[in-house]
Amino acid sequence: MLNFIFALVLGVFFGFALNKAGLTKYHKIINVYRFTDMTVLKFMMTALVVSMSGLYALRGLGLITFPNVPATYIVGNLVGGIIFGFGMALSGYCPGTAAAGAGEGKLDYLIPGLLGFLVGAVVYGLTYDKVFPVISALANYGNTTMPDLWNLSPFLTILTFTLISLLLFYMIERVGWQRKESNQ
Amino acid sequence: MKFILDYIRKDEWSPYVAGVLLGLVGIAAVWASDSLLGASGAFENIAGMIGKAVAPAAFDNMYFNFIMPPGITYGVMLVVGIFFGGMIGAATSGTLKWGKKDSANSDEQWKRIFGAQTWKRWLIAFFGAIILEYAAGIAGGCTSGLAISGGMLLAPAAFIFIAGMFVGGIPTAWLIYGKRF
Repeated sequence: MLNFIFALVLGVFFGFALNKAGLTKYHKIINVYRFTDMTVLKFMMTALVVSMSGLYALRGLGLITFPNVPATYIVGNLVGGIIFGFGMALSGYCPGTAAAGAGEGKLDYLIPGLLGFLVGAVVYGLTYDKVFPVISALANYGNTTMPDLWNLSPFLTILTFTLISLLLFYMIERVGWQRKESNQ
Repeated sequence: MKFILDYIRKDEWSPYVAGVLLGLVGIAAVWASDSLLGASGAFENIAGMIGKAVAPAAFDNMYFNFIMPPGITYGVMLVVGIFFGGMIGAATSGTLKWGKKDSANSDEQWKRIFGAQTWKRWLIAFFGAIILEYAAGIAGGCTSGLAISGGMLLAPAAFIFIAGMFVGGIPTAWLIYGKRF
């Protein structure tokens, strides 16, 4: 029960962050794929730097253990990601931003979004046993992390990711890795 | 204090500030409830609930019985929270769309490129949403459940998925925008 209340509260902050980042707007999502607005990338990489630093620090201090790590099965992760990008470029949302946009009162998020996710979920659930066992068996490394898989120091892995992120942010903000919107 | 309140009322924050907030939410999810964030799974739980009520025989399979059992789960509560979080965010900046004229086709850029017809936006968004949910199933999560949640634990899966998102998204945007890309 308490966990459900946590989920609700965490969800509120999550949806709030999505709204304030502007990701509940169609153009913010599509424009990352046109390189005219890199907000999605800045938002996600910042969130990753903060959360990976915090989580590995807390685990290092013995304050938390990690929940089940999402499984790595290269072909499925990649093919799923490609199809996901296709869907994202069409609709201009993903399941999380659609839920937040729906709360804002955007009916093009609430109705086709919710219905589409439910239809997709049904189709997936009914075809699961023909698709998932096959694709997840290919190049499957299990519930692993990069430090475990390659015997790296988590600290250096996070430091590397942070430096890559900062470099990318610099290139986007200062070196013009973001295209100008050609107004028509 | 006034600066903070003024900032909260802004329509759009710096993505870096909003990103820090999301990062803290990701940490809090693990710390407080030993769980990861994720949105796509909730729709599987709800689809299972509806399916089992409407056509119990068809939905009596391994997936809806064991992999993603129907019901009000942690993930469903999270998505309900996201819904209200979006609502609160828009309310603080006075940009709620409930009952507004442009609520059915909400984005100016969409209208400029594809026109003002609501049915067109809804049809394409609907197919996009089906594809998103199916793809999240194959990949093992969506932007929140795999890219963010997996990435913060340094799972290779997350970074492969993010690369895939761009490999799929860039050509699609290029195709549908044509000369306007």
